[in-house]
Amino acid sequence: MIVLSQMLDFCGIEKERLRARWVSSAEAPEFVEEINDFVDILKKLGPSPLGKEQVEAVA
Amino acid sequence: MIDQVKQKINDLLSNGSVKGVVALVHTNGNVAPCLYQKGDDLDKLCLGDTDSAGDARYPLNKVLVTLSRQYPDEVFGVLVRGCDERGLYGLYRLNQLDPERVVPIGIACPQSLALQCECKKPWPDDMMAGETSEGIDQKGVANAESNSHSERFSYWKGQFLKCVKCYGCRDICPMCFCRECSLECEDLVSKGDLPVEIPVFHLVRAMHMADRCIDCGLCDEACPADIPLRLLYKKTAQIMNTEFGFTSGIKKYEKSPLSLMGPAPEK
Ligand code: SF4
Ligand code: SF4
Repeated sequence: MIVLSQMLDFCGIEKERLRARWVSSAEAPEFVEEINDFVDILKKLGPSPLGKEQVEAVA
Repeated sequence: MIDQVKQKINDLLSNGSVKGVVALVHTNGNVAPCLYQKGDDLDKLCLGDTDSAGDARYPLNKVLVTLSRQYPDEVFGVLVRGCDERGLYGLYRLNQLDPERVVPIGIACPQSLALQCECKKPWPDDMMAGETSEGIDQKGVANAESNSHSERFSYWKGQFLKCVKCYGCRDICPMCFCRECSLECEDLVSKGDLPVEIPVFHLVRAMHMADRCIDCGLCDEACPADIPLRLLYKKTAQIMNTEFGFTSGIKKYEKSPLSLMGPAPEK
C-alpha cells in the first residue's frame, strides 16, 4: 500500500483512488461509513482519466 | 585487465574448483553470453569491450540461474560488474542461487560507462580487475517530481501507451525469475490487447521490482518503445529506502522488509 500509493502519485494518478481498510464482518457501521466516505471522495475526483474512452481517444 | 580475467578463469577451470564459467564471447562480430569449460579456448573471451568492461552487457546472472536449476550440485564461476554483484546478492537472498556454488569474478566498469549508465556503484565489492570509477549521482526521480501532478500524468500515460507488450523488460531482467509471471495472469493482463491497461501492466511490474531491482538499466536498454522503465523502478527503490531503509543488493544476506509479516525486526 505504502509503495503503490506513492507510485500512483509519481505517475500522476490521484492516490486517493486507492484505499484499503480491514473491516470485520461484525462491524457493519464501519463498513458503511468507509464505503460512503470513499464514494464521496470518488465523486469529487470524477471519473478516472484512464477510462476506456479517454485512452482510446489518444491511441 | 582481460589477461588477468583470463588467468583467473584458467586457474578456476584447471584446478577443477568450478564446472564452468559464465562470461561473454566475441564471435562473428557480436558479443554473446558463453559458458566456458575446461579446455575451451579463452581467446575470444570478452568483457563487453575488447579488453575492458564495455557497454555490451548481458544478464549473465540470469544464465547462471538457468544453469544452476539444471545442475544444482555444480559450482559455476560468473563474470560480474557492480550491478551484477548487486544482482547476485539479491538472488542469494531470494534463494535462487546458493552462494556456496557461485564464484564471482568481479570487474570494475570504466568511468565513461558509469556515466552512461548513471551507475551509483560501478564496481563490485569483490573485485579482481580494473580500477574503481566514481559513482554517479542519480537525478532522474527528483527531476521527474519537479513536474506537476498533471504533467506527470500525461507524461506517463504517453509513455505507457507506447508499450507493445513484448515482455522484453521482463525477459532481460536478471531479477525476474518466477516460473509463473503475474504479467501473464489473464485476470490482470488480458491477452493480445493493445494498448496495455494503464497503469496496471507497468505498475504490476514496478511493484514486483520494488525490493528486487538492482538498477542495472537493462530493461531500459531492451525496451523497443523506449519507455523509461528504470525511472519507475528507481522511484520504487527510493520509496523502499525512505520507508524501510532498504536498498536491494547493497548488503549480502539482508532480508527484504516485504518478505516479513508482522512488526519490523529489531535493528
Ligand atoms: S534495472 Fe530493469 S532489468 Fe535491471 S534489475 Fe531493475 S528492473 Fe530488472
Ligand atoms: S520492454 Fe517496453 S514495450 Fe516491451 S513490454 Fe516492456 S515496457 Fe512494454
